[in-house]
Amino acid sequence: MITLKDINKTYAGAVPLHVLHDINLHIDRGELVSIMGASGSGKSTLLNILGILDTYDTGEYRLDGHLIRNLSENRAAELRNRLIGFVFQSFNLISYKDAVENVALPLFYQGVSRRKRRILAMEQLDRLGLADRAHHLPGELSGGQKQRVALARALITNPGIILADEPTGALDSKTSKEVIQIFRDLNADLGKTIVIVTHDAGVGRQTNRIIRIVDGRISND
Amino acid sequence: MKITLFDIENWREIGTTLARNKTRTFLTAFGIFWGTAMLAMLLGGADGLERKLRSNFDGFASNSAVLFANRRTISYQGFNKGSLWTLTTTDIENMRLIPGIDAVAATNGAGTMVVSSGRNSTTASVQGVDKDFLKAFLPTINAGRFLNESDLQQKAKVVVIGRNVANSLYPAGNAVGQFINVGGIYYKVVGIASQQAEIQINGEKIDNAVTMPLPTLARAFNQGDAVGGVMITAREGYTPSELKPRIIRTIRANHPIHPDDQQALFFFDVSEQFEMLDNLFMGITLLAMFVGIGTLVAGIIGVGNIMWVIVKERTTEIGIRRAIGATPADIVTQILSEGIALTIVAGTAGIVFAVGVLALAQQLFDIKFQIEFTTAMGILAIFVVLGIAASIIPSLKAMKIKPIEAINDK
Repeated sequence: MITLKDINKTYAGAVPLHVLHDINLHIDRGELVSIMGASGSGKSTLLNILGILDTYDTGEYRLDGHLIRNLSENRAAELRNRLIGFVFQSFNLISYKDAVENVALPLFYQGVSRRKRRILAMEQLDRLGLADRAHHLPGELSGGQKQRVALARALITNPGIILADEPTGALDSKTSKEVIQIFRDLNADLGKTIVIVTHDAGVGRQTNRIIRIVDGRISND
Repeated sequence: MKITLFDIENWREIGTTLARNKTRTFLTAFGIFWGTAMLAMLLGGADGLERKLRSNFDGFASNSAVLFANRRTISYQGFNKGSLWTLTTTDIENMRLIPGIDAVAATNGAGTMVVSSGRNSTTASVQGVDKDFLKAFLPTINAGRFLNESDLQQKAKVVVIGRNVANSLYPAGNAVGQFINVGGIYYKVVGIASQQAEIQINGEKIDNAVTMPLPTLARAFNQGDAVGGVMITAREGYTPSELKPRIIRTIRANHPIHPDDQQALFFFDVSEQFEMLDNLFMGITLLAMFVGIGTLVAGIIGVGNIMWVIVKERTTEIGIRRAIGATPADIVTQILSEGIALTIVAGTAGIVFAVGVLALAQQLFDIKFQIEFTTAMGILAIFVVLGIAASIIPSLKAMKIKPIEAINDK
C-alpha cells in the first residue's frame, strides 16, 4: 500500500533543517500502524508526505501503486480525495457546516449530487453512532463527537488508507479510548489501512505495529 | 475537478456558505448595495434636475432672443432721460429683413383686466400676438386651435384663452366656441392653451392670459402700431448675440435714441441661457460621475478588501477543503462565485432601492427622476464586472493556500 524508499526532506531556511533522513518504510494493505516520536522528530512531516500534503526532496514514494512525485496540484487533490481519508488533532471541521454537510464535503469535490451526498453522509454518521447529531454544528458537539464526524468524513470516499495526525491529542483519556477503538474496528471490519501519528504510548500500544522516529530517522520498527 | 461556474452543485454550496456567514455576507453585500444605489440615485437625480430645469424652457425656440423698449437713460434729441418710447410694427417689418433672422414675433399687452362669460368672471392678462409667434414659442394646445394667419389678416375677434382662465370661466369645460367679454367687446374662444415653461410673455404665462391677434388688440385697445415684447429667432448658423448690433442699428434708425444708450432697448439672448444651462448640466453630470465613480471605486475596493480578509480568515477552511480533495481551480471558482453571487444580488437590491427612493422623490417633488432601464442594467453590469475583478486577487491568494498551512495553523 505504502512504500517509501530513501526519503529525504529538508526545510530550507537560514539554517536548513534536515527533518527526514533516508526513510525506508513499507506498510501493507490492512495494517494498523502508529508512528511515534517526540515533538520535532519529523513524524508529522512524514505523515504530511504520506498524505500528499507535502513534498519530499529525494527518494521515492508509492501509494497504492501510484508514484507520488512532482504531482500537479490537481492530481494531488484528486489522489487525496480518492485514496486518503484524513483525521486531524484539531478535527478541522468547517465550523459553519453541520455534521452531515461536513461529512459530505469530499463527495462535493467528486461531483456527486447533493441528494446522494447527503444519503451517503448519513450512512457514515449512522455507522459511527451520530445519526442524531447530523444537523448539529461542530461547535455544538463534544470533542469525541467531532472526531467521529471527522472520521465519517475521512471514510465517505471509501479510501484505502486513513491517515490520522494525533487523533486523540485533543481528547480526554476515556474519549481517546473510544476513538482508538473505532480505528481498530475500521481496521478489523473494513480492512482499512490506518496510519496514526501520535506521541501517546497508550495509543501506540493499541496498534499492531509501532514505528518510532527519532531525529528524522526510523529508530525502531 | 468537475466543479464549474455553471454547476448547480457549486451554486448550492455558495448559497449555503453565504447564508451561514450572515455578518460577513451582509458587510460585503452592503458595500455593493450602497455603491449601486448611490450611483443610480446620482444619475437619476442629475437627470431629473436637468429635465426639470429644461422644462422651464419647454416650447421655447432655443436660438432666440427677447427684446422690448425701456426708458431712455440718456437724453437725446429733445427726449429727456427717463422718457418712454415704443417699438412699432415698422421695426418688426424692418427686422424681418435682416439676414440671419428667421422669425420676428411681435406681441403687445393691454394689461391685466377682468374678462367674463355669462355669470363667471376672472382677471387675465390680455395680449396680442402676430404670425411669427408660434415660431418662437410653442404653447400646449389643450383644446381647439391656436390663432392663424387668417385671424390676423381679418383682425378677427377671436381669442385663445389660457387653461386657468378657461377653468374659471367655463368650469364645465365647454369653452371652445363660446364668447367672452374683454373690456366690453365679445370675442369668440377658438382654443385653450397652456405652457410647461416658466418663461412669461407680457408678464404672465399663457395659462393666465387671453391671447388675440395683434391687429385685433391694436384696434380694440387703440394702440396704433405699438408693439410690446418682441421675440426673434435666428437662422441656423447665427446666434442672436451675433445679430444684436444689426438689430439695434435697425431699431435706432427708426427712433431717437442716443447711440451710447445701452439700456433703452432690452435685449435678452435666450440662447445664452441655454448655453449656461448646458454648462451647468455638464458640471452637474461631471460631478455626479465624479462622485458616482468615487463611490463605485470605494465600493469595489471595499469588496476586494472584505474578500481579502475573508480569504485570510478562511485559510483553515480552504486548507481543509484542499486536503479533502478540492483543486486550486475549485477554490478559485468558489471564491469568485461568491463574489459574483454577492455582487449580482446586492447590486440588484441597490438598484431596486434607488428606484424606490427616486420614485418617492418623484412623488414629493413632481420631477421625473427615474433612471432608464438600460442605465440600471449598465450600472449593474459595471458592478458585476468590477466585483469579479476585485475578487480575482483574493481568489488567487486563496488558490495558493497549501493544505498543510491550514492544518498546521492549530
